[in-house]
Amino acid sequence: MSEQTITKKVRVINELGLHTRPATLIVKLLQECKSEVTFTCKKETINARSILNILMLAAQKNALVTITVKGVDAHETMERLVESFESRFGEDLTNV
Amino acid sequence: MYLVKELFHEHGELLDLKLVAGEAGIVNRIHVPEVQRPGLSLAGYLKNHAKKRILVFGKVEIEYLRHLTDAQRVSRLNAILTDKTPAVIVARRYRPPTELFQLCQERDIPLFRAKMTTMNLMSKLTLLLTDEFSPSISCHGSLVEVFGVGVLIQGDSSVGKSEAALGLIERGHRLISDDLVKVRLREGGYLEGFGAELSRHHMEVRGIGIINVANLYGAVCVREKKSLDIVVKLEVWDDSHFYDRVGIEEKTVTILGVEIPHHLLPVKPGRDVVLLLETIALNHRLKKMGYHSAKEFNTKLLSAIARKGKIRP
Repeated sequence: MSEQTITKKVRVINELGLHTRPATLIVKLLQECKSEVTFTCKKETINARSILNILMLAAQKNALVTITVKGVDAHETMERLVESFESRFGEDLTNV
Repeated sequence: MYLVKELFHEHGELLDLKLVAGEAGIVNRIHVPEVQRPGLSLAGYLKNHAKKRILVFGKVEIEYLRHLTDAQRVSRLNAILTDKTPAVIVARRYRPPTELFQLCQERDIPLFRAKMTTMNLMSKLTLLLTDEFSPSISCHGSLVEVFGVGVLIQGDSSVGKSEAALGLIERGHRLISDDLVKVRLREGGYLEGFGAELSRHHMEVRGIGIINVANLYGAVCVREKKSLDIVVKLEVWDDSHFYDRVGIEEKTVTILGVEIPHHLLPVKPGRDVVLLLETIALNHRLKKMGYHSAKEFNTKLLSAIARKGKIRP
C-alpha cells in the first residue's frame, strides 16, 4: 500500500475544547496508527502524538483544526480521528 | 500578519503609548517592520513617500506644522496619510494638531501619543517590530542549555528525548522547552529557541504524566529563551549504520538559513545519553575556543608520521 497524505478540517464541538482528556484520547488512538499526524490551529502546527503539543493549542469550542495525516493507514486514521472529534470525545453533555 | 492592536497590547506599556484617535483602525495591518519620520513628505516632496510605514511625528514635524497655514496643514497631512498608513505616533508628549486628530479619526488611522523622545521611540519601535517580523518555525524536540550551550534534542517519538532532557536538568542544566520549540531568526544571524507560553517548562514523561520542571527542580533549572547552538538527533542504534567515529568532518543542518552543527547520537542500553550530551556540549565549547580535539589529534599524528619519515633514510 502506498503512502498518502490527506487533509481535513474539523471543528471542536465539545463544550470544554481540547483539554487533557480529549488530548489523551487522541494520543491513545494514534498509538495504534502508523501515520504521521499533525494538527494546525491558529497558524500553529503541532505533532498530534504529543499530549503537551495538543494542549498547547488550547483550542476552545468551535475552534477549527486542520488535520493532516500522512502514511500507509492515512484513511483509516483520519476516519477514526474525525469520529472522535464528532463524538465530542465521549463527553456527555449532561455532565458538563 | 501583525496588527496595530497587537503592537499596542503587547508593547504599548513599554513604549508608553496612549491611543487618542482613530480607535476603529486599531485592526490595521502593519505591513513592514519600519517606522518613518515624515519630514520631507510633510514639506510636500511626496516622491518615494513610504506609505506602509508607521509615521512618527517629532519636534521638527510638529513645529513645522505649526508654522503652516490651516489650509496648508490639512493638504499636507492629507497627502501623507493614506489608507495603507498603519498608525501615527506623536512623540515627546506633543499635543497632535487638530487637523491630524480629525484626519486620523476620519480615516480610521490610530493616533498615539508617546512620552519618549523621538529617536528613543524610533529605535525601540524598530527593534520591537524587527523582532515581531523575524522569520520563525516550530521544531519538534527539547531545547536544553548545557554548560551554556543551547542543545536541541531531536529524534523519533519515544526514543527518549524527554528522559534525556530530564537527566540533564537533574544535573543542573536548564530546560527551555520540551517537545515543541519555537525557533526565531534574530538580527545578527543567530537562532533563538523558546517555548510556547502555555506549555513552557512543562514536560510529559511516559508513565508519570505532565510535570512542571520549574516547580520540581526550582527556578534555576529553567530558562525562557536560549540561542540554538547544536542539534543532536537521538536514534535507536542501527547496526548497519556507520556512526561518526572520528569527528573531523562537521555535519550541519540548516534551520531558517542558518547552519547549525548536527550530531547523530545512537542510543542503546548502557549508553549514558546524558553524559554523551554533556560531552557534545563541552566539545562544542572547546571548538568555539579554538581547540578542535579531532583536528588537533590529526595534526599530531601527521607530524609524528612526518618525523618517522625523516628518521628512516
